[in-house]
Amino acid sequence: MPEMAPTEIKALARIIDELDYYQLLHLKPNASPRDVKLAFHSTSRVFHPDANRHLDSDLRSAVGDIAKRVTEAYQVLRDARRRGAYDDQLGSGGGSRIRLAEALTAGSRQDTETRQGRTPQGRQYFNLANLDAKRGDWAAAARQLQTALTFEPDNEFFKSELKAAREKAR
Amino acid sequence: MSEIAIGIDLGTSNSCVAVMQNGKVEVLPNAYGEATTASVVAFREDGGINVGNAAKANIIHCPDRTVHSSKRLIGRYFFSQEVKKAQAICSYQIIEAENHGLRIQVGEECFSLPEIAAMILSEMKSIAEARIGQPVTKAVIAVPAYFNDNQRQATKDAGRIAGLEVLRILNEPTAAALSYGFGRGLSQRVAVWDLGGGTFDISVLEIGDDVFEVLSTAGDTFLGGEDFDDRLIDLLADEFAVRTGINLRNDPFALEKLKVAAEGAKKGLSLESEVEIRIPDVITDENGESHSIERSLTSIEYAALVNDLVQTTFKVCDEALQQAGVVARDLDGVMLVGGPTRLPLIRDTVREYFQQEPREGIDPDRVVAMGAAIHAASLVSPDQEAYLLDVTPLSLRIGIVGGLAEKVIERNTPVPIEQTRTFTTFKDGQESVEIKVFQGESQEAEDNELLGQFSFADFDKGARGEVEIDVTFEINTDGIVSVTATDRATGRAASTRITLSSGLSEDELDDIIDQGRTDRIEQTPVLDENDHVIGAIPLKSIPADTPVIFEETRASKTKLLDDDSDLIEEGDILPLDEAPAVPEAAPVTAAPAEGPTGESGEAPQLKSEPSAFDLSEKTAQVNSSDPDEIAAFSGNFAEKAVDPIAISTEDEGDELDLIDLDDDAEDLDLLGGDDEDDLGGPILELGRDAELADTEPVMTKDELFETPGTDLSALDDDSEEPR
Ligand SMILES: Nc1ncnc2c1ncn2[C@@H]1O[C@H](COP(=O)(O)OP(=O)(O)OP(=O)(O)O)[C@@H](O)[C@H]1O
Ligand SMILES: [Mg+2]
Repeated sequence: MPEMAPTEIKALARIIDELDYYQLLHLKPNASPRDVKLAFHSTSRVFHPDANRHLDSDLRSAVGDIAKRVTEAYQVLRDARRRGAYDDQLGSGGGSRIRLAEALTAGSRQDTETRQGRTPQGRQYFNLANLDAKRGDWAAAARQLQTALTFEPDNEFFKSELKAAREKAR
Repeated sequence: MSEIAIGIDLGTSNSCVAVMQNGKVEVLPNAYGEATTASVVAFREDGGINVGNAAKANIIHCPDRTVHSSKRLIGRYFFSQEVKKAQAICSYQIIEAENHGLRIQVGEECFSLPEIAAMILSEMKSIAEARIGQPVTKAVIAVPAYFNDNQRQATKDAGRIAGLEVLRILNEPTAAALSYGFGRGLSQRVAVWDLGGGTFDISVLEIGDDVFEVLSTAGDTFLGGEDFDDRLIDLLADEFAVRTGINLRNDPFALEKLKVAAEGAKKGLSLESEVEIRIPDVITDENGESHSIERSLTSIEYAALVNDLVQTTFKVCDEALQQAGVVARDLDGVMLVGGPTRLPLIRDTVREYFQQEPREGIDPDRVVAMGAAIHAASLVSPDQEAYLLDVTPLSLRIGIVGGLAEKVIERNTPVPIEQTRTFTTFKDGQESVEIKVFQGESQEAEDNELLGQFSFADFDKGARGEVEIDVTFEINTDGIVSVTATDRATGRAASTRITLSSGLSEDELDDIIDQGRTDRIEQTPVLDENDHVIGAIPLKSIPADTPVIFEETRASKTKLLDDDSDLIEEGDILPLDEAPAVPEAAPVTAAPAEGPTGESGEAPQLKSEPSAFDLSEKTAQVNSSDPDEIAAFSGNFAEKAVDPIAISTEDEGDELDLIDLDDDAEDLDLLGGDDEDDLGGPILELGRDAELADTEPVMTKDELFETPGTDLSALDDDSEEPR
């Protein structure tokens, strides 16, 4: 990444909200994890606060803002789940930024779907099982899970929960 | 002359200062020629203050006026577990101060922890000034990677009190990695395993050319060599109680003697498989009869004593490796840092855990200061030669309804970073919101460290859920947190900015600086810069009882990592017979059982000398090993492609299932009851409402519109209980 003139830095800081993480790190959408890392390193060489201590305070804060966004971009793109959620967001015309904690949750939503159930009935009985379990009634929880499984016979998560509930019920 | 900035390793037990000039890093020895200076502050009756080994020697005489291990207390709340533990061990007074803070009381005077740390920093600063021959005002200070914001902030305050501009708070393992990899064009993935006197850190880094990227870090800020000593103290005290019926723990003087003996024995065991512990006259009973302790201790016995402590470090390692997404055998190297890593027992278990030989040629006492010095130099030089990409060790959280703390920035996220979350009021016409910021890994607010709290009222009042407040969290490259709140509707510029700190207020800091109590530190006349006789001791400045001096003097004769350093010469050995200042009556010893000088009739405290000399010679050899050899060690890493690293965060269990906040209308629909969430929802919502009724006025919008049915933990044993 080339050195940047002060005017360029300021311009970049101004439009930073319009750039998506790929643009920010100069990456193609299909960039490999290795590319992501290298891009983070080379952008950091330009924008890391340490490298810009000598700038006047205006510029320094512009660089600082960019640096924080660069780390954010890296934190999202380096992790398959976060990146998946972000790609979905971009694909559906969502914003160019994603909150880190949410990216993680969204990224694991698919996971969560299996965990909560994919069918309304599966979910219903799973939730009931949860309530029973909360009360400590593991036998009842096991029954609810059993029913949940009749709607989603291949839900591995339900199966493992059922096993756990049965063990606890004994 | 270029600007000077030093690197300081402010350790729990020992501190070390270094500087990089003309491309060379040098550890700057103190007036006694010692590379490290004990992090001990002694307050004399006459008002004078001593810092360093002289102060350490004072412990057994004035335990209540000699403050050691203060790093264990810095940035802590008085009610914390760690402070309770420290109170049990320390003979000085730890008292409660405002805002759950703490002070150390010595006689009539009270000192805050940053002020104590400032005294040590001040001493390190003077050492540097004496050696460099010009004033020093800038420093990089290393802290344990696992230090939280309160501890970092307090350390930074300490720097300010000591008259230093703190250029950077640098993580100790990162500093160590920097001094190992700086300018060597490496491409390696390494773990730094740092067990010091009071803290344990593990960091996994990727060193590539000019970039040092921390992949993960984990630690325990209350685990170190001193805890090993406590185990032995317990053993000795218990045995003594059985034998005599006297509890040595009630006598501060006896306790300090035990402490010295325990540390000595431990050090002896880094060289021998058995040591002899002798404490003549440990206590005099009410009949005027003097009691002693004599006992031998084998390394096997010792290993059993401390085994669980050692195992704790590996649990922490598991966590760090998992967070970095690597397994032990992926690592190209393991660096050992810290005094206790000299123990064979440690080296063996580390080797076993990581399935590889730890790297040789690293001075465990100095690498941190050297790394800090390298970074300090780079921060005052026009060109940047190394980029440190570090992470935050702990998750940053905000307090929400129900006594919970929601994660905003996850641990091991690179810094600097900024995240904004939107919050809302939960009552109609609510006047203010209380924002509480935490650090830690628990979803229960109270199990985390409170960094600070503030009330934000500068918003247009509205109905429940209508007001939108953006709270922005920032973690900078020091790992220090700041928080800003803004009313989104008005975009009101008048946001509240606070730098969170449990410690000293600006005013208190100014007061402390004005008082200038650090000026009372008694300066030791330092040898001339050109005087190469580093081992020599200015006689008159040595206090009468200084058993530790010798041991530390030896350390200073180890050659610096930098091979052609002219500061210390190979032959600079202090002849034993030139040591008149050594205490006539050495009260406590721990010597190798079969020490070669066992019968020589020298003063008893010298018995452990030969082994220790062996040690420094060994170190010297390794240190001076030729660069090619080190390079060979590093292997050819070009071939060993570094795998892309996926940070796996296997903790969805503690994530709330959030609803996208971007579209408010959508969210409101959800509140009305989205058909997707019809079942189970109402029940949980009810539960939530009941909770809301009597609690905190802030909640995230996500909370308010929470998707029901995410509660898995009831069935999932090992996940954190979400609610
Ligand atoms: N040869 C040795 N064998 C065993 N332990 C040793 C040896 N030398 C020093 N130690 C122990 O190492 C500890 C001090 O280590 P070190 O100086 O690395 O810690 P520190 O940097 O002061 O502390 P921290 O990094 O935790 O803040 C002390 O507990 C000391 O007793
Ligand atoms: Mg240390």
